[in-house]
Amino acid sequence: MSVRVLNPNAEVLNKSAALHMTINAAKGLQDVLKSNLGPKGTIKMLVGGSGDIKLTKDGNTLLKEMQIQNPTAIMIARTAVAQDDISGDGTTSTVIFIGELMKQSERCIDEGMHPRVLVDGFEIAKRATLLFLENFKTPVVMGDEADKEILKMVARTTLRTKLYEGLADQLTDIVVNSVLCIRKPEEAIDLFMVEIMHMRHKFDVDTRLVEGLVLDHGSRHPDMKRRAENCHILTCNVSLEYEKSEINAGFFYSNAEQREAMVTAERRSVDERVKKIIELKKKVCGENDNFVIINQKGIDPPSLDLLAREGIVALRRAKRRNMERLVLACGGEAVNSVDDLTPESLGWAGLVYEHVLGEEKYTFVEQVRNPNSCTILIKGPNDHTIAQIKDAVRDGLRSVKNTIEDECVVLGAGAFEVAARQHLINEVKKTVQGRAQLGVEAFANALLVVPKTLAENAGLDTQDVIISLTSEHDKGNVVGLNLMDGEPIDPQLAGIFDNYSVKRQLINAGPVIASQLLLVDEVIRAGRNMRKPTA
Amino acid sequence: MVGMSMQPYGIQSMLKEGYRHLSGLDEAVIKNIEACKELSTITRTSLGPNGMNKMVINHLDKLFVTSDAGTIVNELEIQHPAAKLLVLAAKAQQEEIGDGANLVISFAGELLQNAEELIRMGLHPSEIISGYTKAINKTVEILEQLVESGSQTMDVRNKDEVISRMRAAVASKQFGQEEIICSLVADACIQVCPKNPTNFNVDNVRVAKLLGGGLHNSCIVRGMVMKSDAVGSIKRMEKAKVAVFAGGVDTNATETKGTVLIHSAEQLENYAKTEEAKVEELIKAVAESGAKVIVSGGSIGEMALHFCERYKIMVLKISSKFELRRFCRTAGAVAHLKLSRPSPDDLGYVDSISVEEIGGVTVTIARNEEGGNSISTVVLRGSTDSILDDLERAVDDGVNTYKAMCRDSRIVPGAAATEIELAQRLKEYANAEIGLDKYAISKYAESFEFVPKTLADNSGLNAMEIIAALYTGHGSGNAKLGIDLEEGACKDVSETKVWDLFATKLFALKYASDAACTVLRVDQIIMAKPAGGPRRDAAAAAGAGAEED
Repeated sequence: MSVRVLNPNAEVLNKSAALHMTINAAKGLQDVLKSNLGPKGTIKMLVGGSGDIKLTKDGNTLLKEMQIQNPTAIMIARTAVAQDDISGDGTTSTVIFIGELMKQSERCIDEGMHPRVLVDGFEIAKRATLLFLENFKTPVVMGDEADKEILKMVARTTLRTKLYEGLADQLTDIVVNSVLCIRKPEEAIDLFMVEIMHMRHKFDVDTRLVEGLVLDHGSRHPDMKRRAENCHILTCNVSLEYEKSEINAGFFYSNAEQREAMVTAERRSVDERVKKIIELKKKVCGENDNFVIINQKGIDPPSLDLLAREGIVALRRAKRRNMERLVLACGGEAVNSVDDLTPESLGWAGLVYEHVLGEEKYTFVEQVRNPNSCTILIKGPNDHTIAQIKDAVRDGLRSVKNTIEDECVVLGAGAFEVAARQHLINEVKKTVQGRAQLGVEAFANALLVVPKTLAENAGLDTQDVIISLTSEHDKGNVVGLNLMDGEPIDPQLAGIFDNYSVKRQLINAGPVIASQLLLVDEVIRAGRNMRKPTA
Repeated sequence: MVGMSMQPYGIQSMLKEGYRHLSGLDEAVIKNIEACKELSTITRTSLGPNGMNKMVINHLDKLFVTSDAGTIVNELEIQHPAAKLLVLAAKAQQEEIGDGANLVISFAGELLQNAEELIRMGLHPSEIISGYTKAINKTVEILEQLVESGSQTMDVRNKDEVISRMRAAVASKQFGQEEIICSLVADACIQVCPKNPTNFNVDNVRVAKLLGGGLHNSCIVRGMVMKSDAVGSIKRMEKAKVAVFAGGVDTNATETKGTVLIHSAEQLENYAKTEEAKVEELIKAVAESGAKVIVSGGSIGEMALHFCERYKIMVLKISSKFELRRFCRTAGAVAHLKLSRPSPDDLGYVDSISVEEIGGVTVTIARNEEGGNSISTVVLRGSTDSILDDLERAVDDGVNTYKAMCRDSRIVPGAAATEIELAQRLKEYANAEIGLDKYAISKYAESFEFVPKTLADNSGLNAMEIIAALYTGHGSGNAKLGIDLEEGACKDVSETKVWDLFATKLFALKYASDAACTVLRVDQIIMAKPAGGPRRDAAAAAGAGAEED
C-alpha cells in the first residue's frame, strides 16, 4: 500500500475498516452516555488517580473526566464539550444523537449506499429541521418583568436531569431568582456575577440563595467583630502593608534611638493610608454604624491592629471577581487610592458576619439594598455531593440565561424530536429527489433516539412508546413522553421546556460531525499501534 | 490486514490504559454493596458500651487501640470508592455532631445488605431508593414524636441534666468509667459555656494528656495547661497582671536591612549602651504598667530576659499563634504586636501561674478562677499513650455532645429503645403502603434491628431473645423499653437513664440513608489508573491483619 511504502511503521485502516472503526467508536461512546439522559438516568462514579470520588450525571463532566483515547471518540467528545461551552447543556443528547446518526448510516452503508449520498441527505434534513424548529418554538416575551413561571419550568427541566427531584425543585427557585437578580436591562447577563460558594456542612437541601455576598475568608485579627450590623463597606484595592523598595536599600545608624526613629519612619506611609481610612470612618459612622473594609491587596498585622482598635472590620486579599460583585451587591465603588475617599464611594450592607466551620472561615455580607449580584451557597455533607450540585447549578443558570436571551423555548420530553421526525418523513422526504431520500430518513430516525433513550432509562418499552408517540403526532397532537407511566403527555401542561439554543446547536453540530466521520475513508497513524496501546 | 476488521468495541477500547470500567448490577452495584458490608462488619463490633476495641496500625506505624469508629475508618485508609462514600458520611457526622460515626457506617451497611436481598428478589435499585427515601422521611417524622417530653428546654449549666444527656455517648467509648469522665467533661463545659449557649466553642475545652497515674488522678484546671517551662528563673506568680506580645520580646528591628555604622571603639561601646538603655526602658515601662508576667509569641532576646529578671517579671514563650490567642482569652488580655508599654485595659489577669512537674513532664499552669472563665482544661492521666488517646477521644465526644445539646437539647430513649420503636412503626407504615415501595420500606425498618442485635451480641447476650422481648414490650405500648446490658434484660430507659441526643440520631440516620442511596444510585464506575507514589502495601497488610482480631 502506498503509505506503507512511504513509512513502513505507519498503520493504515482503509475503506470499510476505517468506516467501521469510526462507527463503532461513536456507538461505544453513545452506549456509555446513554444511561445518563433524562431525569431517570443513572449516576456514574468516577474514581480519580488519587482515589478521589466524583459522582455525576452530567455528560459534560463525564466526557471531561474520562480520558478518552480513541480518535473518533475524541472528535465526538469535543463537539459535545463545545455544545456545553456554547449553550451550557445538551452534551449527552449531542453524543447520543451523533452515535445514532452513525448507527443509522451503518445500516444504509451495509446495504451498499455511498456515504456521500447519505451526507447529502443529512444536509437537506438538517436545514429542514432547523426551519421546522423556527416554527415549532414557543416564543416567550422577555420584557422588563420576565415571566418567572416559564423560566422556572426551563430551569426545572434542566436541573431534574442532573439531580434528584426534591433537590432539583428547590434549586429551581434559587437559580431563577439569582439570574433575575443580576439581570440588568439593556445589558448581557454576566453569570460570573453570581458567586457560587460551597460549604461542607449539613445537608444538600440546605443550599440557599444569599442576597449579597459570601467570601471564603475572614478577618485576620482576633479582636475584630464577628458580627456587625448597619455596615458601611469600603471596597478597595490598596496595599496596606509594608512593601520593600524595588532597589536594594539599607539603613545606617549608630545608636538605638536612630534605629527606633527609622522603624517608625519606615511604616509612616502605610500608617498614613490607614489613618485616612480611619478618618473616613469617623466621618460617616454614627453611633450604631459599623465600618467594613474589603481589600484586594494585603493588610499587614500592624495595620490590622490599628483598624481593630477603631472597631473596623477588615478583610484582606479578596478575589478580584468579588470586588466587582461587591460593588454590584452593596453599591459604592471600588477605590484604588485612599487619597480621594468620599462617603459616596462606600457601599452599604445591613449585616456582615463571620461563620466558622472547623478551620474554614466564611464572611457573609447580607441585607444589602437593591443587589445586582448574589451568591448561591451550596451546602452538602461531602465533596462529591457539592461538586454534583455545583455542576447542576451552573447548567441551571445557563438555561435560564439562554431562555432570557433566546426569548423562546422548545417543548421538551421528546416532543420536538418526534414532531421533527414526523415532519421529515411525511413532508420533506417526498420533496427530495433520488437516493438522498434515504439520508433524510436516516436523519429522521436518528432524531428518535432521544425519546427512545428516555423511555429506556425509565424502564419502559421503547417500541410501545415510539408507536404511541408517533401516532399521536400524526393525529396532530404535539405530545411528549411521561416517564412515570409511559403515556403521552402534553409538555406544555407538564411544564417541560428545553432551551431553544441548545436544540439549535444540537441540530447544527450533530450532522456536521457525523458527515465528517462518514466521509473518512482512511485512518493513518504513523508509528504506534492503534489497537493495543504500547505499554 | 486481517486483524483490522476486528476492531475493539465498547468503552474499554476508548479509555486510556490502566482505566477500569465497571457497570451494571452484578459488576457495580453488588460489588459496591459487598465492599460496604465488609466495612460495616469491621466497625459493627465496636458499637455500644460493650463494643470491642480495634488495634489499627496506620501507614506511619502509629498504633491505635480504640472503639471509636471515626478513628478506625480514618486510619484504615479505605480505597474502595463505594466504601469511601460511607467513610465520607461518617466524617460528615463527625464534623457536624462529633459522635455517632459508628451508627452511620453500621446502619448504612445494614441498609445496603438488605438492599442486596431486595435486588436479588428482583427489585430495581431505583425502586429501593424511592422506598428508602420515603422511609427516612417517615423516620424523621416518628423520631420527632419519640422525643422525651420536657426535654426541649434544659439548663445547660445544670450538671445533672448535662450528664444524663452525655452519659450514653461517653459510655460507648469508655464503659465503666463514664461517671468519672462525664463529671469532668460536664464541669469543664459548664464553666466555659458562654451566656448564649449556642455559641459554645469546642475549642475552649482543652485536653492535656499526661502520662502516669490513673483516670482517678485526672482533674479540671480553670485555665490553661501548657507543656512548656518558663523562660526565666521566675517560676511562680500569684494574682498577677499579664502583658501579651505577639511579635516577640526584643529590640525593634526595621523591615529593611539595617547596618550599624561605627567609626571608633568608643562608638561601639556607646552603641551597646544605647541598645541596653533602650531595652531597659521598654521593660521598665512594662513593669511600671503593673504587669508581672510577660507572654511572648516570638523569640525572647537575652538582653530583654536579663532586664525582665531584674524587674522580677516572669517570662513565658508560647510559639503557637492559636495557643497564644487562647492564652489571651484565658487571661483576658489584648495582644500587642511589639514590645511597648501596654495600656491598663490591655493587660490580662491570672490568679496564679506556675511551673509544675506532673508525671515527669514540666507544665506551666495558668489558673483564672474568678475572672474570664473562657478556657478550661481537662488534665487526663493514664498509664499508656494509647489509653490516653482513647480517653481523649471519649472526652472529645463528650464535649461535642455538650455542644450539640446546647443547640438542640431534645433527647430520645437510648439503649435500642428508639430503634425498635422506629422499626415497629415503620413496619406498620410499610404495610399501609401500596406498590413496590412497600418492600423497601419494610427492609428499612428491619435494618433498625441491627442496633439491639449488635448491642446484645457485643455483650454476649442472646440477641434473638432480646429482640423478641423488645418487640413484645413495644407492641404493648411501652415505647421506652430498652436493653439493660448489665443485667441482660429489657428495662425501661427512664430507670436505666440511657438517653441519646435527638440531633445525633437524626443526623446519623439521615447521613446513613443518604450514603446508602448514593451507593445504590451508582451503576457505572470509571476508575482512573491509580497515581504513582510510594507503595504502602506493607502497612496496609499489617492493618488488615489487625482488623481480624
